[in-house]
Amino acid sequence: MFECNRLKKVYRERVVLEIESLSLSQGETLALAGANGSGKTTLLRILAGNLKPTEGEVRTASPILYLPQRSYAFRGTVLDNVLLGANDQKEEALRLLVETELLPLKDKKASSLSGGELQRLAFCRLLVRPCKLLLLDEPTSACDAAGARLLLAALERYREKHGCTVVLSTHTPVVATQAAKRLIILHNGRIEADGDPQTILQSPSSDWAKEFIAGWRI
Amino acid sequence: MDSFRQAFDLLFSLDKELLQILGVTLRMSFFSTTISCLLGLPLGALLGTRQFRGKAFLKKMIHTLMGLPPVVAGLIVYALFTHYGPFGSLNLLFTVRVMVIAQCLLILPVVTGLTASFLEKGAVPMIETAKGMGLSRRRVLFLCLSESRASLLSVVLNAFGRSIAEVGAVSIVGGNIQWKTRVMTTAIMLETNKGNFSFALALGIILLLVAFVVNVAASWIVREEAYDV
Repeated sequence: MFECNRLKKVYRERVVLEIESLSLSQGETLALAGANGSGKTTLLRILAGNLKPTEGEVRTASPILYLPQRSYAFRGTVLDNVLLGANDQKEEALRLLVETELLPLKDKKASSLSGGELQRLAFCRLLVRPCKLLLLDEPTSACDAAGARLLLAALERYREKHGCTVVLSTHTPVVATQAAKRLIILHNGRIEADGDPQTILQSPSSDWAKEFIAGWRI
Repeated sequence: MDSFRQAFDLLFSLDKELLQILGVTLRMSFFSTTISCLLGLPLGALLGTRQFRGKAFLKKMIHTLMGLPPVVAGLIVYALFTHYGPFGSLNLLFTVRVMVIAQCLLILPVVTGLTASFLEKGAVPMIETAKGMGLSRRRVLFLCLSESRASLLSVVLNAFGRSIAEVGAVSIVGGNIQWKTRVMTTAIMLETNKGNFSFALALGIILLLVAFVVNVAASWIVREEAYDV
């Protein structure tokens, strides 16, 4: 779970995030949407502890796992990467590789993977360990439809097993509606819409949200 | 061709003076590179990965110092360690120690600047990924150092290259004293001034050979593991 109050982040006198209050209970999944530069990554990085807010307070459960937008392939094979810091989880690592259809690539050099494969590897590398709060920054952006389905299924199984809270940012409506029970649309760092994904998509609360969702569906 | 033959003759004859000059050169380069890297790598890491007030100004200063002319560095160190200078009582002028200090003044900004540039460009996704995996601070540090070893090695080799090839600063503060502070570059300069071009060239070839051996050895230490791709 997490809770933040009067959160504000300013970069060179430009307010990039301003949220009066936001909280999420244990086990909930929240999807963040919004145009580029709307504050999604800034919010995730603040929750992950990688960025200090200019103002406000944040309280989060720990341990936290965070998947950045640009994941890095460490030296070694695909399996070496999944087992980094989790050497005792070999069985779970292999199961995750099967689930994400990466098992045939387990002995390949991680740096030789394609963008979509690397994204699946980054997912496995994270889900091999338990957490209370899982933060995913555009986790399916490099995947094709089949790859995205695999990741969402793996995410759902992980969430059920560990009962963790999940926050993910996405540019894909289907990811928001399938993975989350709550959707927040950010606009210029502020919350423009907050609620059930289907309700927001079907009846947007403002002209801006209506325009954004119309563009989002293309 | 005469120079090449002379270079190999000099090497294999184990000429005492040549070995002594080589020894001083390697000792000076080793210590100046080591000290500069011990200070410059952490400083560069701070500059490349942290945000703080005055960072932009500090970067500009370091980039300016990266182009510091060796003779100017030599003059500054000479002024500090001359008999009437603030450190004159240490009696270090015309010793290998003061040559190392002058070289550190030249190399430290290079190591700091190159490390910061590399980390600013390449290390942020690596650090964020490792931290996101919930690894301990120490584990993140070791993982990132291990991942960056090839790039950091190029920084170290760059520093070593600048040190071993430097002549202006070491000739001012070292004085090119035979059997004491003469290094390969100052010996080459002396032989050229005496008109012994082929002998100077032979010394140059030996200097290049030494640099080549150090580079090959360093590359072998951080060689990539082979995997089936």
